[in-house]
Amino acid sequence: MIRVQVPPVLRSVTGGARTLEAEGTTVREVFEDIAKRHPALALHLFDERSGIRRNIICVHRDSVVRAGDMDSRKVDQGEELILANAFAGG
Amino acid sequence: MTVSLIVGTKKGAAILTSDKDRRTWKADFALKGWPVTASARDDGGRYYAAVANDVFGPAVFISDDLKEWKQLESAPRFNPGDKGNEQHIRIAGAADFMGRYKDGPRLVDQIWTLHAAHGAIYAGTSEAGLFVTRDRGKSWEPVSGFNDHPNRDKWEPGFGGLCAHTILSDPKNPNRMWVGVSSSGFFRTDDGGKTWNEKSKGVNTDLGICVHHVTHDPTEPNVLFRQDHRGVYRSDDAGDTWVVTEQGLPCGELSDGHRCSFGFAIAMDRKSRSVFIAPLEGDNFRMPHNGELAIYKSNDKGANWQPRKTGLPSNCYSGVLRGAMTTDQLDPGGVYFGTSSGSVYASSDVGESWSEVASELPRIMSVEAYAT
Repeated sequence: MIRVQVPPVLRSVTGGARTLEAEGTTVREVFEDIAKRHPALALHLFDERSGIRRNIICVHRDSVVRAGDMDSRKVDQGEELILANAFAGG
Repeated sequence: MTVSLIVGTKKGAAILTSDKDRRTWKADFALKGWPVTASARDDGGRYYAAVANDVFGPAVFISDDLKEWKQLESAPRFNPGDKGNEQHIRIAGAADFMGRYKDGPRLVDQIWTLHAAHGAIYAGTSEAGLFVTRDRGKSWEPVSGFNDHPNRDKWEPGFGGLCAHTILSDPKNPNRMWVGVSSSGFFRTDDGGKTWNEKSKGVNTDLGICVHHVTHDPTEPNVLFRQDHRGVYRSDDAGDTWVVTEQGLPCGELSDGHRCSFGFAIAMDRKSRSVFIAPLEGDNFRMPHNGELAIYKSNDKGANWQPRKTGLPSNCYSGVLRGAMTTDQLDPGGVYFGTSSGSVYASSDVGESWSEVASELPRIMSVEAYAT
């Protein structure tokens, strides 16, 4: 089981949950699993061609993983992904 | 009688509510954290608010009471195989554009307008597209005749991207609609969306066809008022031909030296048939002329315009975006607009005088009024 920390702006589509549990061996598989369980969340993670939205980043093992690397980035059971709302400025 | 404003800002929606007098307003805030780009209400009284986040994309929320909002599981989306407009992709993905978006996908990155018509809700998007839901948001279908327009490959985006930002409909003729696209034209269908013809004859198109916003009275749908990048125009024949209608308006110089009345927002009160615009000082400055915020009003179909400044500030250097001015269709008509510096101004006397009813909001992107 992988834990995914959900940013506040997306909690309206997770029933208020801050953390989701999911299965998968890559970041993409984990995202696909949580999208299956929360269909409204799928709109925010995947674009029309089922690609991970290009500006999404997450934190895994204390390093930032960008959208282009999420298909291949391996995750192990018991690990956590932090899905970040990557904004700057006021 | 209640009047509610959905004020879409860069960080959520201010919900302002008043009674028929429209003197005092109660404020609430919803959809915190989401840029709210447009709203609409369907015939059954359900409200729709479009949001778009640079990271997590666009979505539509619904509410039946303006208090509880729920995100729809469906949203306007292009078909997976649709090829995107390279220039739009370059603008939308500017931060990480390294040539990787050549032959890239056509993606909806923002919903610019929502429009209720004939029992459906239409959505105009960027990359420019038109979508419709006929089941209150459970599903959205692309309007293929528009999205696959035969000249689409020649469509040029404005500097804000290739966006379908204006939708108008004819209440008595479901086969006729209009869609404005920056900066590719003002399109009309007369066959229910199968084919669309560009309608800008008489408009100065020296530097492209940059329609900013169009309004009309749905009871006289073929008389159209157009705020274009290159001036203010009226059409009496459903858009087939246009004439300049700038008598009394302040004009400024555009980048290429052309002088006209630049601006974005335009709205109409149906009872009085008054038209309102918010002129800005040319495309370089995009702020009120001489720092004097003024709404210009025409009572004679655009033949003459007069400034209305009572209650509006001097030393104002913000603008009014294209979706940020609206009317409530009460009698006397209420007119409302929001600024890019977060103030909302309201008039309950058909635009003759104004009062600030909200301030210190984030940048205002859309304002719609709903009387119940």
